[in-house]
Amino acid sequence: MLEQLKVIGHPTPKLDGKIRACGKAVYGHDIVLPNMLYGAILRSKYPAAEIVSIDTSKAKQLPGVVCVITASDVDVNNISYKRDHPILKKGEVNCIRDEIAAVAAVSNEIAHKALNLIKVDYKVKPGIFDPFEALKDQAPQINKFFAGKSKKNITHEFHYEHGNLQEQKDRSACIVSRRYIMPRVTHCCLGTCAITADYSRIDTRLTLYSVTQVPFLYQRDMAHALKMEPSHIRIIQPVIGGGFGSKLDMYPYEPICALLSMKTGQPVQIVFDREEEFLASPTRQPMVMDVTTGADKNGRFTFREVKIIKDNGAYTSWGATTPFVMMQTFSSLYQVPACLFDSYAVYTNNVYAGSFRGYGNPQATFALERNIDALADEMGMDRAEIRLLNANYQGETTGQGLVYRSCGHKQALETVIEKSGYSKKYSVIQQGRYRRGIGLSSMLHVGGGAKIYRSDGCGTTVKFDAYGYLTIITGSTEIGQGSETVLAMIAAEELGIDINKIRVINSDTDVKPWDVGVHASRTSFVAGNSLLGAINELKKKISPQAAQMLNTDVEDLDYLNGQISSRKSGASVKIDKVIREIHFNAPNELCLANYYYEPGSEFQDKNYMGNVSGAYAFAAQAVEVEVDTYTGNVKVLDVYVAQDVGKVLNPLGLSGQIEGGVVMGMGYALTEELIIENGLILNPNFHNYKLPTAGDIPNIHFFPIETIDSAGPYGAKGVGEAPLIPTPAAIANAVNNAIGVEMNSLPITPEKVLKALKNKIND
Amino acid sequence: MNFNIISPKTQEELLRALRYNQDKNFRFGAGYTDLILELKKQPANDLTVINLAQLQDNRFTSITIIDGGLSIGALTTANSIVRSSLIREKYPVLGQAALQHGSRQVRQTATVGGNLCTASPAGDMACALVALQAQCEILSAEGNVRIIPIDIFFTGVRKTDLKKNEILRSIILPADYANGNIYSHFIKVGLRRSMECSIVSLAYHIIADSANKVIKCAAAIGSAAPTIKFCKEACEYLKGKTLNNISPEEAKKFAALIVEYASPISDIRASAWYRKQVLFNISQGIFDNFNSKV
Amino acid sequence: MTKQHTISFTINGHKLQKTIPASMLLLDFIRDELNLKGTKPGCGEGECGACTVLVDGQPVNSCLFLAVNIDGKDVTTVEGLFQQEMLDPVQNALVEYGGIQCGFCTPGMVMTIKAFHNECLSRNIIPDKEQIKKALEGNLCRCTGYTKIVKAVEALFIR
Repeated sequence: MLEQLKVIGHPTPKLDGKIRACGKAVYGHDIVLPNMLYGAILRSKYPAAEIVSIDTSKAKQLPGVVCVITASDVDVNNISYKRDHPILKKGEVNCIRDEIAAVAAVSNEIAHKALNLIKVDYKVKPGIFDPFEALKDQAPQINKFFAGKSKKNITHEFHYEHGNLQEQKDRSACIVSRRYIMPRVTHCCLGTCAITADYSRIDTRLTLYSVTQVPFLYQRDMAHALKMEPSHIRIIQPVIGGGFGSKLDMYPYEPICALLSMKTGQPVQIVFDREEEFLASPTRQPMVMDVTTGADKNGRFTFREVKIIKDNGAYTSWGATTPFVMMQTFSSLYQVPACLFDSYAVYTNNVYAGSFRGYGNPQATFALERNIDALADEMGMDRAEIRLLNANYQGETTGQGLVYRSCGHKQALETVIEKSGYSKKYSVIQQGRYRRGIGLSSMLHVGGGAKIYRSDGCGTTVKFDAYGYLTIITGSTEIGQGSETVLAMIAAEELGIDINKIRVINSDTDVKPWDVGVHASRTSFVAGNSLLGAINELKKKISPQAAQMLNTDVEDLDYLNGQISSRKSGASVKIDKVIREIHFNAPNELCLANYYYEPGSEFQDKNYMGNVSGAYAFAAQAVEVEVDTYTGNVKVLDVYVAQDVGKVLNPLGLSGQIEGGVVMGMGYALTEELIIENGLILNPNFHNYKLPTAGDIPNIHFFPIETIDSAGPYGAKGVGEAPLIPTPAAIANAVNNAIGVEMNSLPITPEKVLKALKNKIND
Repeated sequence: MNFNIISPKTQEELLRALRYNQDKNFRFGAGYTDLILELKKQPANDLTVINLAQLQDNRFTSITIIDGGLSIGALTTANSIVRSSLIREKYPVLGQAALQHGSRQVRQTATVGGNLCTASPAGDMACALVALQAQCEILSAEGNVRIIPIDIFFTGVRKTDLKKNEILRSIILPADYANGNIYSHFIKVGLRRSMECSIVSLAYHIIADSANKVIKCAAAIGSAAPTIKFCKEACEYLKGKTLNNISPEEAKKFAALIVEYASPISDIRASAWYRKQVLFNISQGIFDNFNSKV
Repeated sequence: MTKQHTISFTINGHKLQKTIPASMLLLDFIRDELNLKGTKPGCGEGECGACTVLVDGQPVNSCLFLAVNIDGKDVTTVEGLFQQEMLDPVQNALVEYGGIQCGFCTPGMVMTIKAFHNECLSRNIIPDKEQIKKALEGNLCRCTGYTKIVKAVEALFIR
């Protein structure tokens, strides 16, 4: 069946690409509603202070201002999964993002002018900006909503272990320990945060035009925050200008916008400019990682011991839960008999971190893969060989209980090693100004969703109209990654209709069925399977009718080229004719079907053991760099990517994800850093926060590996996050190969390189 | 942002506007790629912008040959400088500097005069012009003209010698920098390949005879001091030496002389140590591949 | 209060006259006064190029361009490229080669590429990869990693 696929596996342009190319797609920024007001938020001047008083009187008097609110004007609950995040701050501020007041006015200009008229009296506090300081006994409690039981400034801790650590330590012939320092970087979606809230006093319904990636969870969170019924809240998702995980949580500006609309009875829109986006949008989780790993005399990995301190910032968002993912890498990437993992999210007066593509895995993989190179070097073993020796295999159940029903780990490694010419390039002796090096890394990530919520499922409704046009109403969300196109391709394949006769609708919670959201690289897998289930249900209606019309059995039918045909007789009937028969004649039924798909994964137990995903994706990268020893600049020349995707659904979309991810990983490795000093963000702009430009990109060579996972749609597994996960590690390993210095903190700036070279010469 | 605007079309209208606004708060706007950012950060009250974008006067807007040298109107855009074959042939360092300024969109409106009057030590075209020992033609509101060397045009970080009643009209490049074997290059050090505000920069323009013996040497460094520095002693040192015969020790000495002019700060982009170190390395490195016209 | 200025200009082929405040930026003028939402606000600092439009056929960052300076000029936005139900070859190429993901950077990218394509044609140049990358340096994209956008531009010159 797989070999005869007509649509799946063929490059297919984005379903609504033309709309986006013409500038006709409507983003949150483009929404204009009648009578709409513009909202603006007053944020704290200091990262840590008492609020002595707030005087909004002058702001309220400014012509054009309709409403000004502070914490005393609203009755709301705290947000965040830890409920430690007040929407509007009262009495004290604990980070530079803190929302103190909000204004709704007839124009953006007036709203921002009003902010300047709000007088806030602060009593500045010293503030704690280093998690190690916050852990000290004498440190004050930073977040007063903190509900933890252990140390006062730890919001969330994780402990995991498998195997016998001491036994494995004793058997180890070689042990290496390193500390890795991972910086803050941020999503930099080209489309900044934007929300329009429209509260109707008549029917007490709130409509939110929101860029959320998780509309149903968001609906529930918003209801809890505003003390409203969830079903009174409707989420409409306009086209999103990028997500990358930034829209996985609900942030104060969103309920604030809703509150402004509720207070004024008019629609209110808040759009961040780029500076506010840098200031107020969550970052990737920064962390300090102490990683010790061992190997026996043959190079087989024996154990990993990991301790991670995370700067949680003043409030808790999803950054604190990155250990869920990180422990999978430490416990299950490459075979390893023992693992001990401890991670602490520590409150500080810095800005908080959220979820960001990879969700902790880039950090974990960086540490692990750097340690592997260090192990190999100390043992005098080849860096490629040590990886191949310990590679995961199909059928493996790891120490944590992950089941590798399909596994392309070794194949991915072998592919990049071969295609990059690794063995030859690795041992070239370098002289002169420019030194080249090559580095390896691999990765493991969930590829079939992640059972972290009560359900990891997705609902789909499919509906055929009388003309043979199909509408797919899917719970899943499109954030630019091409999921709508893949769904349309699946339907075109299964029903034999032209892809131009397919519409995907997924932007209204009043209409679409439940889905947990777009995260964990789950959409192709879960939404794809959900759609296949719905199509099967649909065929249960169509096939009997067609069989009757063609005088044959349902097993004899083929859906192809807009027709349903009998293989035996060659006779065929147009699919739209069959649909009209079903609808307008007996049995007078709609050609409509529903299906809810729950992946076959388990909840992890309280020790984090369990097969958390429906499938796992593996990948490897080999990266070639050139280091300029005069300036310290690292240029990435070529990146070889081998990705175990199970099955390639849309080659065009897939390679787009790979290329985008690699460049994002490159930015994380070399040029990006959100610089914070004493709680203040020093570079909240593109001028000083350096994203890769077109001139910086390497040549990317992509080799998809099809291991055909039995649970995935056509055998496919998720890939959205994977491409950036191995890249920073491979780059650091390549720099090490080029100039013989260890770069254990990101970004690998030219200054760090030059300094390392200088220290090397001095040693 | 809130300001009034006046858009003179001729030099006469410009000078009239200049005279009229002497006792008021005014700024010149040309390419706006710097001004708008400044005004957004620090909004000014009762401001008038004298909008030069609609001025049609060749002395301000054109590149013309004069007395064997070149006159570049202050309102010449970076893109026009990139496209000028005259500049590409005779003063390549300036063309390269312009090409590394911002992006195509920025270069479309950013002017060379704006770059000079902003007087940032990181200015790319400004650095090249200091290396070329350009002259600045300054026009007063009364119609008087004075010409000063670019060295004294910059008086400090973001400060120039312009009086309130003056405007920069053109930049004059000397004729004697345009003949012989020209080795002229702009090196910009940054984190990535584009859209960089230089961490440190080196502009050099060396003229050699047919045996590659240095007749004239000019070099300037940017982002290394409060103002762009012309490295006179380093240039003197190179005179008379043969470019393909520079020994490693001589290259080091040249580099050391360049770095003497550097007194950089440490900021979020880089430390003072890094700036000096890189400047030394790239100065030493210009002799690495001396075999063709750069 | 600032004085109002009247400007006469052409927008996507249509002649128009408007009265606006002196300090109005071209980006805001296009989006709010002319209600053309295709041009996007990306950064307000001339770094990302999402707001790129053509003024007399030349690409500029409309976030750093005063609206009064389009007086007497031709302005083209992304909406102006879609003629008689047909996409411009630049738009078609981006769609075909997969150079669009979230699409927020796309209108600005389209305008930069359009100007670049026209300039190369008028100077009889077929650009190489490095020249194309250089032409795109002022347009940031976070989704695609640029590779397919470069391929799309290369394809424009093969036809």
